[in-house]
Amino acid sequence: MAHVIAVEGDKVWLEPEQTTSCGGCASSGACGAKGIGSVANRLEARRFQIINAEGLIVGERVVVGVREHALLRASVTAYVLPLAAMLGGGIVGQWAVGSDGVTITAMIIGLLLGLALSRLSAGRLLNRGDLTPHFLRRARPGENCHS
Amino acid sequence: MKEYILLMVSAALVNNVILARFLGLCSFMGVTTRIDTAIGMGMATTFVITVSSIADWAVQTYLLQPYNLGYLRTVTFILVIAAAVQFTEMTVKKVSPPLFKMLGIYLPLITTNCAVLGVALLLVEGKMNFISSVLFAFGSSIGYSLVMVIFAGLRERLVLADVPRLFAGPPIGFIVASLLALAFMGFSGMSTN
Repeated sequence: MAHVIAVEGDKVWLEPEQTTSCGGCASSGACGAKGIGSVANRLEARRFQIINAEGLIVGERVVVGVREHALLRASVTAYVLPLAAMLGGGIVGQWAVGSDGVTITAMIIGLLLGLALSRLSAGRLLNRGDLTPHFLRRARPGENCHS
Repeated sequence: MKEYILLMVSAALVNNVILARFLGLCSFMGVTTRIDTAIGMGMATTFVITVSSIADWAVQTYLLQPYNLGYLRTVTFILVIAAAVQFTEMTVKKVSPPLFKMLGIYLPLITTNCAVLGVALLLVEGKMNFISSVLFAFGSSIGYSLVMVIFAGLRERLVLADVPRLFAGPPIGFIVASLLALAFMGFSGMSTN
């Protein structure tokens, strides 16, 4: 869910609607995470553009989506690649020398290599359009992420 | 080698952080409505738990223990975890802004996920060496992700099930979670073999 905040030519700027990261949680009233995700500048950082083929106007609420498995691919790229490289570096360090200091250093080098790999992979995903949100439909009145 | 494998299996299945230690229950109930989001949350948490546990081990071994600052452990670990989450967020944002826009939603929730602090405290309590600490943290986070995905799959099926009106939503979710915990109790038999 997102709402239109600006129209620029044939494109619109959308801001995702977010109450809290765990807004749907049954215990959200007592949860320490309440409010952390709703800080305005966090939402501002996640504004995005889509092509305005539907004639959207400022203030309209829309439902947007990404390709199937895009979230999985993105998660693998952002977290699994650096983590695997870091653990791989640790295994090599431990196997080669066997001291904690060398293993930690090898893990840090592995993490940096993993981040570089992650950057390359993210660029490829972006070029394929896997990370681009697409307009699905206009939101129904009162509709939210959990309804 | 065998002891390391047993340590990981024990951390992931026998002493599962969610179903045996009851940590990280907020995200367990809040982010398991869809398998996709559960996988995303699981991977992000796996990364943060592993990285912050390594940092926590280093802080404990090279700072808190030599200077007898054990009473500052919880506060220090919370600071290290918050820094690890912030580092992850900044890195993902720098490496790929579109990835950050897609996945950034999970990171604030991890900061207050007690499973991250719980794992760090458990590995200090267990007086583990560095390799054991890394494997314990990684195994625990794999167990966390596994349970998140299994529970998300069950909840996706529950939406289609004909549940009595009074039990619909969170109540049937809790009942299913308790049955899942009972099923995981079966793994505890493995530790005596």
